[in-house]
Amino acid sequence: MSVPPPAERRRPWEEKNVLVAGVLAYLIPGFGHFYQGRIFKGLIYFVCILGAYFGGMRLGEGAVVYQAPIRGNWKKVSLQYVAQVGVGLPSLVALYQSKRSDSPLNKDQFDLTEPLSAPFTGQLMASSPTRDEVAGVLVGRVELSTSREGSLPETRGVFRGTKDGQPVELELSGGLKLDRPVSGGYQRGLECHVVHSPDQHPNETFHIRGSIPRSFFDAFNSPPDPVLIQDLHGRLGKYYDLAIAFTLIAGFLNVLAIWDAIEGPAYGFGDEQPPAPNPAPERTDAPVAVAAK
Amino acid sequence: MMGTVLALADLTVTWYLMPLAAIISLVYSASRYELPERILKRAARLFATIIGAMAAVFAVLWFFSVGL
Repeated sequence: MSVPPPAERRRPWEEKNVLVAGVLAYLIPGFGHFYQGRIFKGLIYFVCILGAYFGGMRLGEGAVVYQAPIRGNWKKVSLQYVAQVGVGLPSLVALYQSKRSDSPLNKDQFDLTEPLSAPFTGQLMASSPTRDEVAGVLVGRVELSTSREGSLPETRGVFRGTKDGQPVELELSGGLKLDRPVSGGYQRGLECHVVHSPDQHPNETFHIRGSIPRSFFDAFNSPPDPVLIQDLHGRLGKYYDLAIAFTLIAGFLNVLAIWDAIEGPAYGFGDEQPPAPNPAPERTDAPVAVAAK
Repeated sequence: MMGTVLALADLTVTWYLMPLAAIISLVYSASRYELPERILKRAARLFATIIGAMAAVFAVLWFFSVGL
């Protein structure tokens, strides 16, 4: 009859279903260990791996995990994503978002199907036949809607907020361009013409150019536009590379966590005593004393 | 002067390596051992080793780039 080991010498990774533990450890880092009752180690994996992953996502403004395979096409998948997918569910969402992003319905909008009211940050641009220049920084709110009463849809609305810190209200009409809904990054580009005022030079026109928030559901792990990636590289520089590094390392570290959930710790409990040195073998060629006759 | 400014700008990025080194140390040590105190001790030692090695590399690079 075998004697059960003391509590501190239990091998919990052998007591539960290894497959379930491995799958759980992959899907959500640390959950495989919670399932096995290894709470301390589960917490380390959960906090550290997800902390690195979401820290990287935040540092890279949400446009870090992308280039997942689209419709089963793995040719365009980056090595970057292959490493990130180790994090499990948080990165597997990219597969679904790639599919949504690739939908023919996901395209830039030039009119609205329903009224839009959202916070806006951007610039007032002045355009003339010879040049475009920034006429002020805008912070406020846009309200837009598209009327379909005429032969062509017409988008009108208003911007209320501040221009260079001074209160301003701009009437908007036409020229709407709203970035596609499903894309990487938590800002969605918006442009719209400002209605021509009577005291304005006839050759000069104004339009607003900036962004409104993109919903978390549309932005999380969606493939960003190349323009956005270029912008992030320009603005964030090496911080963007660092953000990618954080998510890559999180994926690699979860491989260690999965391995630990399946096979247990690589070196054991950690307080094992080194084996005692073997005693010297007895010499067989030693002279044998011969009893005197 | 400009070199010093650039080195300081780089330092702000370098601070991000601290949490990264801490995370790597903890997860790696947790995958090696089972006992919590052993994991924490080993992680602390690994963290110190990583930071020490990076500091040594930084010092060497800084030494050779002075005056460039």
